[in-house]
Amino acid sequence: MAQPMRTVLLGLNSPGYRSLALGYLRAYAEADSALAGRCAFETLDLDTSVDPWWAAWRVLGLEPDVLGISVTCWNARAVYEVCRIVGSVRPECAIVLGGPEVGPAAEDVLAAHPEVSAVVRGEGEVTFAGLLAELARGGKAWRVDGLALRRGDEIVSTPDRALVADLDSLPSPYLTGLLQPLDGGAYLETYRGCPHRCAYCFEGKGYGKIRSFSDARVAAEIEAVATAPGVKSFSFIDPVFNLTDGRLRKFADWMAPHVARGLRLHTIEVDIERVDDEAAALLREAGVASVETGPQTIGAAALAACDRPFDAMKFAAGVRALRAHGISCECDLIVGLPGDSAYDFLAGLRFCFDLDPGKVQSSTLHVLPGTGLWERALELGLEFDREPPHEVIATPDVSFRDLRRAEVMASSLQSIYRARV
Amino acid sequence: MIEFVDISLGDGPQVQCGRCAGSPERAAFRSGAEVVEEAGAACKGWSRGTGPNIRLTGAEPFTHQELPRIVAGVMEAGCRRLAIDTDAVALRSAQNAHGALSAGVRHIRVTFLAGTEGVHDALAGMPGIFDSTREGVAAYRATADAAQLPVSITVAVPVCRHNLRDLPSAVGAAVEAGADRVEMSVTDGGIDLAAAVPWIVAACDTGVVNGVWVEVGGVPFCMLAGYDMHLADAVRGRDGSKPPVCTLCPLDGVCGGAPVGASADQLALLAPPPFAAKLAPQIARARAQEVC
Ligand code: SF4
Ligand code: SF4
Repeated sequence: MAQPMRTVLLGLNSPGYRSLALGYLRAYAEADSALAGRCAFETLDLDTSVDPWWAAWRVLGLEPDVLGISVTCWNARAVYEVCRIVGSVRPECAIVLGGPEVGPAAEDVLAAHPEVSAVVRGEGEVTFAGLLAELARGGKAWRVDGLALRRGDEIVSTPDRALVADLDSLPSPYLTGLLQPLDGGAYLETYRGCPHRCAYCFEGKGYGKIRSFSDARVAAEIEAVATAPGVKSFSFIDPVFNLTDGRLRKFADWMAPHVARGLRLHTIEVDIERVDDEAAALLREAGVASVETGPQTIGAAALAACDRPFDAMKFAAGVRALRAHGISCECDLIVGLPGDSAYDFLAGLRFCFDLDPGKVQSSTLHVLPGTGLWERALELGLEFDREPPHEVIATPDVSFRDLRRAEVMASSLQSIYRARV
Repeated sequence: MIEFVDISLGDGPQVQCGRCAGSPERAAFRSGAEVVEEAGAACKGWSRGTGPNIRLTGAEPFTHQELPRIVAGVMEAGCRRLAIDTDAVALRSAQNAHGALSAGVRHIRVTFLAGTEGVHDALAGMPGIFDSTREGVAAYRATADAAQLPVSITVAVPVCRHNLRDLPSAVGAAVEAGADRVEMSVTDGGIDLAAAVPWIVAACDTGVVNGVWVEVGGVPFCMLAGYDMHLADAVRGRDGSKPPVCTLCPLDGVCGGAPVGASADQLALLAPPPFAAKLAPQIARARAQEVC
């Protein structure tokens, strides 16, 4: 019998985390009957502190036939370095990339990185498994929808693949035991898509309308993660945790037994303008210790350019409600949004500090592939680094030097803010 | 943006340019009760955003016999950020550093007159003080890190005619000492501002490229074209010297002008800059944002 195709999934994650995306890919592929006995999987969950040469060393030690890597703007440079090394040492290995950094610019990625064989566009689970099945049987990968790949000397894109209609058809990496929950580093996904369409973000645009996992699936995953040995806290990656009050009520019920024995949820993303006293109480009941939220900017022009709603009164009321229930809030701001001057950013900082939310964090705009800002960069006059992580260099409203000054000034102010009793 | 109310502990010798200030005065402290009462009133009536935040200034706090009682009193009054102006010499002792941190002192501000011990000590008239201060700052930071307590270290760099050329190296020394922020302030009314500006901007750039913010005070916007952000927060509520033409300048409401005591010749150099009309509303917006 032929040897199964050795498939290595490489994650270059933030330290302390494991890749949920790779967990989904593997769980789906392992459950795919077309791959049964034909494919052997190994997941290498490394973090971005690992030198790409050593990551390549680990990969090559597994002698893969296929290497799949999930790419974000944060790990892309390291990923490309790994690809170059693996491609040089083991040219027969098919390197397949996927993720928000490469999917929206798939053909460009293939053109720029000759060692990469294919790029998955959009949701990866079904497409990746389909590609593996074709590769395992020596078939024609260009028959698989949702890919960009090489066909002879050409780079071609196959038709788009529809989003997965029933998310429960994707096996859970936690429930299948593929992903061991880490204390503080485990995170769950209960739906895909986002009700908002912020122009700097891929989530709302790329994944369209909201599709949810079933209540039964979510409850089972919570139970699995919350009762895993050593787990005292975990998180959800849902873009808006407080989509509806009814949903919050369910989470409070699901979490209740675990909260009673001290388990906490951290850095939950909320739409803070929807948080009133009742919602804050439910979040507390659900064990939420800290949330993360905008406003990203309070400048009218930038809000308009980014399609973001903002109501200062409601925002402030949300922070107050959370504080009243002992929930720490991280307010995030972005410097370099189109329409914002450096002083608009400072006004945003001041707004956040004055609310005294617990933590104020700022980051520089990343003009990410597939986002509205990426598409409108020329029209908006955004100068940004074409190489990942695509940081903004200058805008019509802020010079290169003032952007750097704003970053340094913000970090100094954050240190003053943090130093308190 | 994050404001502190300064409360004086009294008068006494400080790290300052001896050539400008003359010989150091003898310490004359206010009573602990008086200081605590003033701090308590400031905390009670706090309406300046996140806080209350108090900075104990004036004489060296570690020579005030009632310092522990004062710190305890200020914290009891509800202070969230307590800062002290200090030469940090006492903080070289791990016991003092630990004591200060556990009592609630999470901010210190030390003064560098220059970037080298030779110039700093000579200007301060205090041999050995530069190294001692740096050792104290390092011990404070190390003790805080060990206890996982967030602290903030500010280096004040007073600018006078005697240390102009040392400003970039003073900021460099602040960076090396682990400062989070530098407050550079022109206090010498007799300084030639035009000659000072190139050194001030070089000092600002030294800070920025090393990731440490340099806030500038005592320089008007019209003399610091392209570096306005360094003035953005500093001049809030500060009234320096201004010529009559300032009343025609859109930046008048947000600009602190030249240092107090600036000569007529200095003031004659000031004029509304071409960028004033665009900048003024932006700065006003950044400063006036209020909590809802
Ligand atoms: S930034 Fe957040 S709210 Fe906006 S589209 Fe992205 S995920 Fe949704
Ligand atoms: S002219 Fe304008 S910028 Fe210059 S000192 Fe007067 S108010 Fe300030």
